[in-house]
This record gives sequence, structure tokens and C-alpha cells, in this order.
Amino acid sequence: MRCEEIRQQLGPYLDNELPSGVEALVSAHLEACKTCRLESAALNRLASQLERAPSVPVPDALWNSIEHRLDTESPRVVTPPPIEPVWAGRRGPLALAAAVILAVGLGTMGLMSSESHAQPSVSFCVLLDALPLDAHKAFRKFLVLYDAKQVTPVEARRHAPELSFDTPTTLPGGFRLQGVYLLRFGERPGIAARYDRNGEFLAAIFHTPVRQEHHGTHKDLPCVVGQHRGHKVQVGDWKLVHLTDPTTCHCVLSRLDEQSELPSIMAVVAPPAR
Amino acid sequence: MTEKDLIQRCRQGDRVAQRELYERTSPKVYRLLVRMLRNTDDAFDLAQDVYLKAFAQIDKFDGRSAIATWLYRIAVNEALQFLRRVNIARERLQQMGVAATVEPHGNGADARLDVEGSLATVAPTDRALLLLRYQEGLDYRSIADALGCAEGTVASRLNRARERLRVLLKGGYGNREGTTSPMHPKGSG
Repeated sequence: MRCEEIRQQLGPYLDNELPSGVEALVSAHLEACKTCRLESAALNRLASQLERAPSVPVPDALWNSIEHRLDTESPRVVTPPPIEPVWAGRRGPLALAAAVILAVGLGTMGLMSSESHAQPSVSFCVLLDALPLDAHKAFRKFLVLYDAKQVTPVEARRHAPELSFDTPTTLPGGFRLQGVYLLRFGERPGIAARYDRNGEFLAAIFHTPVRQEHHGTHKDLPCVVGQHRGHKVQVGDWKLVHLTDPTTCHCVLSRLDEQSELPSIMAVVAPPAR
Repeated sequence: MTEKDLIQRCRQGDRVAQRELYERTSPKVYRLLVRMLRNTDDAFDLAQDVYLKAFAQIDKFDGRSAIATWLYRIAVNEALQFLRRVNIARERLQQMGVAATVEPHGNGADARLDVEGSLATVAPTDRALLLLRYQEGLDYRSIADALGCAEGTVASRLNRARERLRVLLKGGYGNREGTTSPMHPKGSG
């Protein structure tokens, strides 16, 4: 065998992956060829370095997190009772609240349509799990998960014409718009917006509404913004509130009080369905 | 409990068996994810996904490979998909002039020198190959199972991955430092 052929076999030779006949040929060649011996030694040192990796202890919390998700993400389908949307004549947050269907549940959600079972899903787990540690980071992870692309508010409307939402430059209470993002929930577009008020973080996420969804970790609580049934998911001080109309599920993540500040913000980001 | 018994009980949703499978395999799976992603937070998240997927799909495990190899396969797929998403998002955000929106991967605590540092810069698929061979100690057949490729291609892909790594290293390997292939005297061999 020529040196070039031997070099192709050196890796498998050092990995003990060669048939015995070929291995003997390589061994014999290395006995006779100093250059290939040096190459073999270099590869051997590289292998040794690669094998000397520092140990990586498994975090104690990992199994608990897995078990928690095993308990909470089992596919228990929850179908909210039908509530007729009544959009006409809505004024203010209470009327808005009365006119929406609030999707129940988080976790993995099938999108509402006749082909809902075949549709891609929206998972808020990555957002909720990391919230207590760092809300900004949790939101960034959510953006990454759904291929976020930053867009202008106008572009957001153009890319997601089927969704009804608003991302004004300011929200009631003095929150200022920091960024709008186009997301991809499978084949469906979604929109996210990030707001700030003197370091206080608020995010809004809009996606196609759901009729059926796998129940998440939350409890089905009394409505947070009005008379309709609904829910919020609370993780520490953080609340993720869903407000759904026939075209769009509006989700707001904030630490705001649901009786005072939140309703006016929900009313702005969730305009009447077109 | 034998691996076969363990898997059978996992198929029945036995939580004790699931925990046992986790205990037996998580050091390998988590270590591979940390090395692939170079970020312990992301590895923590993806490790959860790996086990949830494994428990949900364990009926699909056909027993032709070790269960650890099957878990490696899920872990590698999850890691490659995640890195792809991160790269796409980062490129898009950079194009929009907002590179800081997605934090770069590889935090300071995870940064390592020399081989580890170079390993982090090779293509994710090459990294997976090298990690499975040298840090997880898999033979070529198991690597092929874990990566879903033919056993015959593992050797050539490993050769290429090693060469790319050596190009990046540029030094530290005796009198062949910085070279990707030795200069042979004409007619040798």
C-alpha cells in the first residue's frame, strides 16, 4: 500500500476498526515508514486530547424537570365549552373580555381548524420553564425556538394578515416597544413583541387560536380580564394571559396586576377581530 | 434489571423504570449535549426534550442497538436541529442589525482551550462524530446507528472531521504542527 492509502486507513487503524488483514498491512507499513509513523503519532495525540474531556456532572434538577413535564405534558385533551364571540359594539377591556373565547391551557396546543390534528404546535414550555430565572432569556429562547425574524410593525401585519393584533409604539402605563418579531409556528405565522418600562419587561405573542390543546401546568382560573371564562399561567410573579378571538390568540407575559393595569393593555394589543 | 426488562417496563409507563433508564444513561446524554451545544442551560433544556421524546417513542426502539445508542441518536438530532434554528435566527437578526437579541452560544464558563475550543468551531455534524467516537467511545457501528448513516461512511467522515479539526488547531502536535497532511518523500511507501 502506498502512503496515501495508508493515511486513509490510519484513523480506523488507531480506532481498531480495520479487518485484521488490512491492519497487518498498515502495521507493516508503519514499521517501515517514518513519515507515516509520525502521522500516526499525531493522530494518536489528537485522539488522546479529544478523549481527555473534563467531567460534566448531571444537574440534580434535571430528573425533577423531566418528571414534572411527564406529569404535566401528558396528552390530556381539554376542550373549552363553546362561547360565541360577540365583537360588535365592544368598548373597553370589560366588553372585550366578554366577547372572547379564552383558550384554556398551555403546553402543546393544536391549532384550531378542521385539520387541527395535523397542524404544528405552539409550545410555551421553554418560555415558562425559564421565567423564574430570567424573563428576557426565556423570551429569547422562545424567539429562537420559533425562528424569530425582527420586523417592523407594518411588516408584521403584512406577514401575518390572518391575525388580528396591534403592536403600538407605546402601551398604557408607559411601556415602550423594543422589537417586533415574525415567528413561524410550523406553516403558520406568529408575531411577538417586546416592551420595556424602565427595565420592566412585557411581551406579547400572537398566534392562530386553539380549540383543543393539551393541558399544561396551570389551573383553569377565573377570568383575569373580564366576565368570560379564562385563565392565566402564573410562574412566580410572572403571568402569561391568553385572550382569544376567532382569528388570534393574544398572549401577554408580564408582572402586571390583572385587575388594574393588564386589562387596558390587553384591550390595546387585542383589537376586535376583522 | 436487564436492559430488556427495563425497556419493557418503560413501555408500560413505569415511572421507576423510566427513572432507572435515566440514571443509567443521563451522564452520557447530558455530557454529549453540553459538548454539542457548549451551553449548560441549553443542554439542560434539550436533555429534558430527549427523555420526554424517548419515553413517548420507546415503542419505536427496536432493540437492534443499545438503548444508550438510541438515546444518543435522539440527542444528536435534537442538538443539530436546535443549532440549526439558532444559526438561522442569529443570521436573520444580524441581517436586521440586532445581533444581540439572540445571545451567542458558548458562555464563558463553558469555554475551553485548544482541542475543546477547536472542537466547538467545527461543523456540528463533525462535532457529533468526533464526540461520539472519542468522548463517548462508540465504535463505528454504534456511531452509524446514532447518526443514522451507513457504517461504511463513518470512517471517511471521521477522517474529514479529524483533518478539519487539525487545520483549526494549527499547532501542538509535534513536528507536524499546523499541517493537514504530512509531506512524504517521493516514492515512499
